[in-house]
Amino acid sequence: MKRRDFVKTLSATGVALYASDLVGDLIAQSPKARVMDSRFKGLSDVALSEAKRLGCTYADIRFTRNVNDSVAVRDRIVTDSFGFGAGGMETSAGFGVRVIHSGVWGFASSPFVTEGEIKKITAQATEVAKASAVSKRFEVKLAPVEAYQDYWAVPVKQKPEDVSLDDKIAFLMKINEVALKVPGVIRVQSNMAFDFEWKYLATSEGSYIEQEIYRTLPGFTVTALKNGKAKSRTFSVAPKSAGYEVVLEAKMLENVERIANEAVEHCTAPPVGVGLKDLIMTPAHAMLTIHEIVAHPTELDRIVGYEANYAGTSFVKSSDVGKLMMGSKLFNVTCDRTLPGGMCTVGYDDDGVKSQRWPIIQEGRLVDLQTNRETAHYIGQTASKGCTFATSWRNYPFLRMPNVHVEPGPPGSPTPEQIIADTKDGILIDGRGSYSIDQQRFNGQFGGDAFWEIKDGKKTRMLSDVTYNAITTDFWQNLDATSGKESWEMFGTTGDAKGQPVQINHPSHGSPWVRIRRIMVGAAYS
Amino acid sequence: MAYSKDEIKQIADKVLNMCKADAVEVRFSGGERSATRFANSSITANLIEHDQEVSITVRYGQKTASATTHQFDDETLKRTIEAVQTLARRKPDNPELMPLVKPPQTYLEFDAALPSAVNFGPAERAKMVKVCTDICEKRGVLAAGYIPKFDWVDAGANSEGLFTYFHYADASFILTCRTPDQTGSGWAGTSGVKDIKNINAEMLTNVAADKALKSRKPKAIEPGNYTVILEPRPAARYLSLMLGALNARGAEDGRSFMSGKQRGETRLGEKVFGDNFTLRSEIGNPILRQSPIGQDGLAAKPITWVEKGVVKNLFYDRYWAQKQKKEPTATTPGMSLVMEGGTMSMEEMIKTTKRGLLVSFFWYIRPVDNMTLLNTGMTRDGLFLIENGEIVAPVQNFRWNESPAVSFNNITGLGPSIPMHTGEAYDNPGTALVPAMRLEDFTMTSISPAV
Repeated sequence: MKRRDFVKTLSATGVALYASDLVGDLIAQSPKARVMDSRFKGLSDVALSEAKRLGCTYADIRFTRNVNDSVAVRDRIVTDSFGFGAGGMETSAGFGVRVIHSGVWGFASSPFVTEGEIKKITAQATEVAKASAVSKRFEVKLAPVEAYQDYWAVPVKQKPEDVSLDDKIAFLMKINEVALKVPGVIRVQSNMAFDFEWKYLATSEGSYIEQEIYRTLPGFTVTALKNGKAKSRTFSVAPKSAGYEVVLEAKMLENVERIANEAVEHCTAPPVGVGLKDLIMTPAHAMLTIHEIVAHPTELDRIVGYEANYAGTSFVKSSDVGKLMMGSKLFNVTCDRTLPGGMCTVGYDDDGVKSQRWPIIQEGRLVDLQTNRETAHYIGQTASKGCTFATSWRNYPFLRMPNVHVEPGPPGSPTPEQIIADTKDGILIDGRGSYSIDQQRFNGQFGGDAFWEIKDGKKTRMLSDVTYNAITTDFWQNLDATSGKESWEMFGTTGDAKGQPVQINHPSHGSPWVRIRRIMVGAAYS
Repeated sequence: MAYSKDEIKQIADKVLNMCKADAVEVRFSGGERSATRFANSSITANLIEHDQEVSITVRYGQKTASATTHQFDDETLKRTIEAVQTLARRKPDNPELMPLVKPPQTYLEFDAALPSAVNFGPAERAKMVKVCTDICEKRGVLAAGYIPKFDWVDAGANSEGLFTYFHYADASFILTCRTPDQTGSGWAGTSGVKDIKNINAEMLTNVAADKALKSRKPKAIEPGNYTVILEPRPAARYLSLMLGALNARGAEDGRSFMSGKQRGETRLGEKVFGDNFTLRSEIGNPILRQSPIGQDGLAAKPITWVEKGVVKNLFYDRYWAQKQKKEPTATTPGMSLVMEGGTMSMEEMIKTTKRGLLVSFFWYIRPVDNMTLLNTGMTRDGLFLIENGEIVAPVQNFRWNESPAVSFNNITGLGPSIPMHTGEAYDNPGTALVPAMRLEDFTMTSISPAV
């Protein structure tokens, strides 16, 4: 791209996805979707041949380039401290080389994309692997994978960079204006953040894979102060791998007044007290519970001890597959890297394994786990489920959860309204709040963003000081109602932390409305 | 290899000269981040990450925008500057934007990048793992651990002529030992170490292995209020929970534990904690050797946040200070943090405890209620019952719900302060000097058989 062309791309927001640095130039110079003709094919081969020359038994090189952009309006003031990266506009590009030498991994990364640097970093990764062999107790075993030469991209209706900054600010400002008119509101922040990720993976086994992913995260939070108590309420918008349409379809403006009023009401809502209640969870709330006590304990690297020093292990054992009852007959859970819009939906994982969809819990029984090439052999599987991911070029890839969904009930399942009408003494919970789980994902304590009392089938008033305790298997055994697919929604998180150094993953979790019978609430405040 | 002061100055000058805005701020961050990770007594990841980034903030009057890039060639810098200048012009005025900090700022000078840490490479880290796993093999436990190393520069410059540069190098050794039958787990570690000779892998491995072996087959005891002895790692995590409350804006806004009775009032000057709770930021502390560069480039100064339980200072950012006609606080609450310790040894604390719990580690702490600082979390990797001055049994882990605002009125024993990371992970600066502490009436709300 020529400089003059670059300046033209600034007409929208100033975020020129392919032209703000030299790595972007290399991408722009490569024919789209023709991976074997890409400038990165040649650069990749530098690493792969150098690794081979140095005696590595496996090597891959992964180039990534992320453009993060965000804008936020807090109390009518435009800020940029929000988003997928550090806030504002950030362009980050570089490459990481991963090798196996002497049966051990080595990894090194650099932001300088030149042939000389690629050679140097490949040698460094190899040296690291060789050095590590001194304390090796077992060798890395990779499940086989087919070689792919492919291009894959997230379908996008409207690219965020094609929407003007003025329009984005005006939209967010409007949310501020409406919320600040509600008596009792003392603070409001509305925001939208975008992540565009391009990556090119080449492996010594013949794969050359290019992918382009957009992720969009809008939302707003209102804080109210009344009677000396401050409470915040966040409008849950599902972040998605998609474009600006996520903002347009989120019905944010339509909900500002309601959310602001709920923040005010929450300040004076009576505390729930301690006791057993039936919990009705909206998909926006169930998302985090699914994430913490279903998705995490079924990561195979945790189960076999790889995370023992940080994220923890799991109450699930590899021998539990096919045997352990994780929940009631209504409990069906699927891992999925294929459903459009899912934040972890990709064409291929960072091992070059084609994305797939598979059940892990069927009618309450654990039937499978999350695996990658490195861990599949621990449960006797000969193929990876494709769960490898690295946050950026600078990070080493390892097992990260895909999108993990609770399936909706079958046709004829109750609607959310029918679940409420069928509940005598319960609490409706929406949105995410406080959450804390032990290192084996067995004892969890969860809060939420807003709570309503359900009495004799009616939603009566807001409650405060609600937390509930979940002993994972008991909790899901008490699942006795799931709504149908009409009310199934997919929410997600942009802050799934794991690994050392810590890396961030962005999974989605879909759920119907669910009811969990007789759960202890309020103990945190007792 | 870290960037020298001259190299950073050249990059910063280049950016400042290229920019056409009214005012410009450049922030540089970069160097080497390396780490060795091991599990099941074998290395699972050993890596070297090189990175560099420059963040450019431009201003036109009260309009501002920032952009960050990791490429420093002239063409990329030019393009980034053009983009950010375009963005800034389109932004509405930000009334909270403060003028750039002007020189001179006098920063304390000390060496925070000692050769032993700068040169701490993958082979040395692998050998340290070998020392650890050999001991573990003899003692019949499995090791999982993390040895991160930073050789890093944080620097900045602005169009007023201010230039800041801080080069540091440090490492940590973090270890969990587990018994093969998965019924025992023990933690030991040290963090933010500036001189590698202060990492004693052998000693730490023996501590973690001891805990793992002694914590096997823990028994379940009833939840309730307990006297707890927090070793320095859980004490550091617990201490970190009150740092956010030191923000003056949140306090004056009525949104914080430090808020006064009326909106606009704070608890500054009130005795909020016990006599034996004192918290300071000791800029230039010779053990911590942490950055002397404060808010927006102001020279950080030593400050006492709490003295003998009385709130002495809150943190005023530059905008809020101007609005409230106060002096801005150059030092942010997490900088060079030192909690004043005592003289009690761990043995003495145990010996003088009638019934209580010895806590090795806190895990997954999250806020439950910001205004009371109520938090929840779990114990992990070694929890022991103390009766009549002796450790009598390992016990199953507890979930707790408690507030440091309450606990720091209930301190009945303090050990000497030692370096320990305050964060959940160990990847950023965050090591403080923290003592082991004994707290009364700590609320354990439920048990977990998780090991």
